[in-house]
Amino acid sequence: MRTDHPLWHAKHIVRMGLLLLLGVTVMIVVRSLLVPDTWGQYGWYRGANVEEQRDHPLQHGGDASCAGCHPEQEATHAAGAHAAVRCELCHAPVALHAKDDAYFAAMPVRRTAALCVSCHQRLAARPADFPQIRPQEHVAEMGGEYGPEACFDCHDPHAPL
Amino acid sequence: MNDATGTRDGLDDATRREFLKRLAVAGAAASFGAIGLILPESAGALATSDYDWTRHRWVYLIDTRKCIGCGACVRACRVENDVPDGMYRTWVERYHIPAGGEAAVDSPDGGAGGFLPVAGAAEPGKAFFVPKICNHCEQTPCTQVCPVGASYSTRDGVVLVDAERCIGCGYCVQACPYGSRYLDPRTHTAEKCTWCYHRLVKGRSTACVGICPTAARMIGDRENPDDPINEILATQRILVLQPELLTKPQCFYLGLDMEVR
Repeated sequence: MRTDHPLWHAKHIVRMGLLLLLGVTVMIVVRSLLVPDTWGQYGWYRGANVEEQRDHPLQHGGDASCAGCHPEQEATHAAGAHAAVRCELCHAPVALHAKDDAYFAAMPVRRTAALCVSCHQRLAARPADFPQIRPQEHVAEMGGEYGPEACFDCHDPHAPL
Repeated sequence: MNDATGTRDGLDDATRREFLKRLAVAGAAASFGAIGLILPESAGALATSDYDWTRHRWVYLIDTRKCIGCGACVRACRVENDVPDGMYRTWVERYHIPAGGEAAVDSPDGGAGGFLPVAGAAEPGKAFFVPKICNHCEQTPCTQVCPVGASYSTRDGVVLVDAERCIGCGYCVQACPYGSRYLDPRTHTAEKCTWCYHRLVKGRSTACVGICPTAARMIGDRENPDDPINEILATQRILVLQPELLTKPQCFYLGLDMEVR
């Protein structure tokens, strides 16, 4: 081809085009390897993660999961002043204690005055109509001696009043 | 191509032209393919369970006047979601505001162990507890800054983090104006409240709402007209934290004081 031919520069364009194509191809290949399968399924994130989040195991089972094995405590509790307090609040999540409706580990014991005062210590920030005491004063008034077990001399935590 | 010799390398003009044409078509197809890969597919409901996320819209409600600051929610969340010590997906703050004075705020261990009386403190003009949690904003500053698409909002209004994608840059932790996110020291990825998404989709309440002894916390479904939360949101005076930021929090408050940020 003569250098003054109108198509003399065409081959540069073809080479550039080929390079561009190569670049695009490489990008597509690399991208298909790096981008997760479910990316963009629902939006700009990995769609499979939604299902992964949902599969997370439950720890708290609610009072119903306790009543099956502990009907007596459940009955006492339901009739007492702590009926609105869930079992797992004072005890621990049922998943630490039973699996597939069968016992596998003891519940941690937190039967101390510290647990009681976490709700009933008189605090300025607490709603005024919530039952509160100054524990040392209250126990002294009742003629007791304040200690970790003091509350349980008079109160059954399942039905305190 | 118009060379006197006709062919240089064994290809005649027709074949060459044909080859280039095919190459162009293939290139165009590949480009369109790439666009197809980049654009999200049109979305539908998740098919894997009977929970249809297009039929739910979760909102949260906190009545600060009911909170007794026992910390049961913080403890429940910690176990339910395996939250490491020193990190909080929900926490309880105590405000002491003397008449005409400056607010004092404390939250020892996020309130997990409850609160003790403030030693030597004068009787405050007002004092109250404020439970805090991720607001699951509709306009999320946190997901917007994520450089790898690890954080996102679900169709039913929950802001989540994909730990597999997260690179732990901490940008979202800084972007959240409510301090709701943390970097998990074990995985070095961002973590946050999920509104116990694993419980919601199974028809359960969140761990914090379920454990609260005074019903200071509520979670509800805006798409369910029978949900009691809708009655409250429609008839009570509600507030959100830092409304001036226009993040549209989906966690609403009753009895909030203007000192609370």
